[in-house]
Amino acid sequence: MTHDELERALAELPFRLLRGLGRAIAGPPALRMGKRRLIHTIVAGAEANSARIEATFRTHQAEQGALAAGPAPAGGASSEHKSGNPADLRALLEGIGVPEPRPFVPDDWQVEAVEALERGDVIVSVPTGSGKTYVAVEATRRAMYEDRTVVYTSPLKALSNTKYTEFCKLFGPEFVGIITGDRRDNPTAPILIMTTEILRNLLYDAAGGEIDVRLDTLGLVIIDESQFLADPERGVVWEETIIFCPSQARLLLLSASIGNPHELAAWLTCIRPTPCHLVRHQHRSVPLRAAYLHPNGKLTPLFRTVTMPPSPSQAVLHPEAKRLFTLFEEDTVYARRSG
Amino acid sequence: MPPSIHPVHLVTVLRQKSLTPAIVFLTSRRSCDEALQAFEHATDPLPPARQENITAVLDELTAAYPSLQDHPLRRMVTACGVAAHHAGHLPSWKIAIEELMRRGCLDAVFATTTLAAGVDFPARTVVLTQSGVRRDQDFTDLTIAEVAQISGRAGRRGKDSVGFAIVTPSPYMDLGVLIRGLTGRPEPVDSQFIIAYPMVLNLLKAHPLDHIQSILAKSFAQYQMNAQAAHLEHRIEKLHAKLESYKPRECSDWLTQWNAYDHATRQTAMKLQARRHHPPEVRARLPFLTPGRVVAFPRFSGIVLRRYRSRGQRHETVTVLRKGGVVAESPVADIMGVIDHTFAFAPAPAFPWATTEALSWLTQQLEDLPKHLPFLTVPPAPDDGEGELVKSLGDLFPCPSCPCRPTCAKEFKAANTVKQEWLHHTRTVQSLRTGLWHKFQARADILQDLGYLDPAFKLTADGEWARLIRIDFSLLITELIRAQAFKDIAPSTLAGLMACIAYENDRPNSFPRISGVLASLVATARRMAEALAAYDDPPLLRADVGGLAERWVGDATLTWAQLCRATSMAEGDIYRLLSRTLEYLSQVHSLQSTHPDLATLAAEALSRIRRGVLEELP
Ligand SMILES: Nc1ncnc2c1ncn2[C@@H]1O[C@H](COP(=O)(O)OP(=O)(O)OP(=O)(O)O)[C@@H](O)[C@H]1O
Ligand SMILES: [Mg+2]
Repeated sequence: MTHDELERALAELPFRLLRGLGRAIAGPPALRMGKRRLIHTIVAGAEANSARIEATFRTHQAEQGALAAGPAPAGGASSEHKSGNPADLRALLEGIGVPEPRPFVPDDWQVEAVEALERGDVIVSVPTGSGKTYVAVEATRRAMYEDRTVVYTSPLKALSNTKYTEFCKLFGPEFVGIITGDRRDNPTAPILIMTTEILRNLLYDAAGGEIDVRLDTLGLVIIDESQFLADPERGVVWEETIIFCPSQARLLLLSASIGNPHELAAWLTCIRPTPCHLVRHQHRSVPLRAAYLHPNGKLTPLFRTVTMPPSPSQAVLHPEAKRLFTLFEEDTVYARRSG
Repeated sequence: MPPSIHPVHLVTVLRQKSLTPAIVFLTSRRSCDEALQAFEHATDPLPPARQENITAVLDELTAAYPSLQDHPLRRMVTACGVAAHHAGHLPSWKIAIEELMRRGCLDAVFATTTLAAGVDFPARTVVLTQSGVRRDQDFTDLTIAEVAQISGRAGRRGKDSVGFAIVTPSPYMDLGVLIRGLTGRPEPVDSQFIIAYPMVLNLLKAHPLDHIQSILAKSFAQYQMNAQAAHLEHRIEKLHAKLESYKPRECSDWLTQWNAYDHATRQTAMKLQARRHHPPEVRARLPFLTPGRVVAFPRFSGIVLRRYRSRGQRHETVTVLRKGGVVAESPVADIMGVIDHTFAFAPAPAFPWATTEALSWLTQQLEDLPKHLPFLTVPPAPDDGEGELVKSLGDLFPCPSCPCRPTCAKEFKAANTVKQEWLHHTRTVQSLRTGLWHKFQARADILQDLGYLDPAFKLTADGEWARLIRIDFSLLITELIRAQAFKDIAPSTLAGLMACIAYENDRPNSFPRISGVLASLVATARRMAEALAAYDDPPLLRADVGGLAERWVGDATLTWAQLCRATSMAEGDIYRLLSRTLEYLSQVHSLQSTHPDLATLAAEALSRIRRGVLEELP
């Protein structure tokens, strides 16, 4: 059999058998693979496992034969999971809705970050949607009191625009300016919103001797979404901005959760005049739950636990989600991706 | 692949379970648009109060963004409370959708996964419909950071007590990838430092060459490489200690010496191998098989005329004179015994290897030989390959007779592995420590050759203005300026060329025709880019793309709608192309003091691009 023929033949197999085969070839990881990936894995390991593959095809034929000959093999299998466990779904959806309004109290980490900025640079690495903007705004407010210029950079024009609107509302439009690749609005304002490339260019000019008053009084540089440092094309601009950032200005790096915030902080401490303080946590302010929605509209928890498993190795699929996903894989017509 | 669940069904379920508002992440713009179209025929529109809410928000925003006024999707969004959000839309439209989401007016937004990072609006629920994302023609798994970025949109602080990430399958989905993404730790951020020409020029503007290395040393790239190097150096130290433990020998650099000896040994051994190929008793006979020797084969006896080995053959062969004057070739292995009798004869340099007289004389002698002659007793040869080797290499190397030889032979393999690893790591460390600097120097050398830097690596007059061009393909643009390629052209032609350089997509689309002037300018640019290919990757330089910018700048009466009709490109893409063109033009515009004419040209093009939709956003 050629690889293509084998692939097609495998696609005919029920998912259950495919998975058994996948497991024999690739071990437990196969249990989580989708049909396409299973087939690729099996084809890749076909040489060494031809006997097993043939045996599976024989089993399939035998089953088909049995099916044609008489009633389906009896077993509780189908009645057992007629309808998952409704209690689990109820638990999953419990508490959904709008929380009681509460007065705004900054989180400890937010206060910590703002205060640490008094002493030196700060990196904030917390989950998305935690409230990094609060830190940026509060730090901006403090710099304003001290008559210092603030630069806020983000990777995307769209984000810059959103922040521009937000800051205008907070501080008044006369205090906020925006500079993009082709336009400058109120470019002498004490709070300047720009893309990271623009700030890098300003820093180039300053280093080259073109004195820019704004950089003289620069007190704070906020770099939002600083995980962009790892962007293959533009990441270098983030590095340059940080390297050339004037020493009298404080750096505030805001980033989503990343794997190595310590390393970034250690780097900043190495090259900057003040030590860098790292604020990080992995706690989501609004808890997250995961569910599985079957194409027929049936909703079930994705994991056995209502809360998110803390690591992939502890992630156990809810039996109903597992059953439904397997069902889906079996039902999906396997169309080979062309090209 | 869109999810298997029907989008209307999906939203119905989400509504039923109070899981709205939701962001549904899909693979492509097309699936987003198709999902939205599916609502066209949905029966139940939103209750009037909610419709009015949406209309009010949109009206409010229309003041700032006039293009919202007649947006074709307005009616759908108002009636159904769902929207699509992707790069094919105008920024103003995306802003409107984001605002509607923020105010809780919509139930669902279909967005592309690629934009997860740029989506700055939260929802109660995110729906994940696939495990991969398209990246440069290829489909790759979502990273943990990407899944975290997507699921991070779920659960609005203050508005939700809990957020949901809902997985709904599509063909090809790999559940494992999503599970890892939802529960795993994001990948580390690694430096992607590259040294581009504008960086070199701007650094050398501000610092002398001998300061550069210390500036590069401040990069995160160097920080990470130093960490790697330190790790390797630790390993190198250990390897060094291990090498030391192989004590000094007779020769100071015994590893090199033995390596050479070993190599030579193997070479000679190969030559000797042929002989070793014979079994010992045959090998023992070889020295006796000289011309004139009488040998016995199972059926006959004969006289050896010569012994030889053909090319590529492992076995030796003898040419034998048989009874009746027959001259034949036989493998030496066929010889049954060596007879204690030889004849001296006059040899010849070619077949039959003996002079004619000698041959007839030998034939006669053979006839006259007694029937049964005694065989020489030849003891089987010992495995003397070693001995022969020693003999043949003794002159070149001290090793064969060196007292250290057995130790060297025993330890060489292990010690050499250590040494190779040591060498490899040492080289790696060297490139980790100095790689950036060397790359910088290489780029600086090129700029010097091209005349942007003087022999002392200071900026030349050309370098002074060239450093202001800080975009991709800066070298191409500055070289074109130096070649006077932009002399006497219209603003629309300049805009057209900048659009060609700025556009980096090879997706097929139809575009308006370009003018002959622009076509020849693009051809000039292409030749220039090819000439510079050794220094910088050339841009795609698709000529057709330039037509859009050329028309928009060239015809001030052209409306946005007319421009959009002139191409099959999506509105959002046209906007992005023109705004990138703006960026490139304003770089050219910054050359006022050295190239006033060109700067005026660019300013003209800039002011003509900025109208209508392109004026809506800062
Ligand atoms: N201490 C707090 N208590 C209650 N709500 C808060 C608090 N801090 C911030 N928020 C709210 O949390 C929401 C998300 O905040 P924000 O946009 O700053 O998140 P973020 O960390 O910047 O996320 P992203 O990674 O998406 O940029 C906002 O609506 C904000 O008002
Ligand atoms: Mg943010």
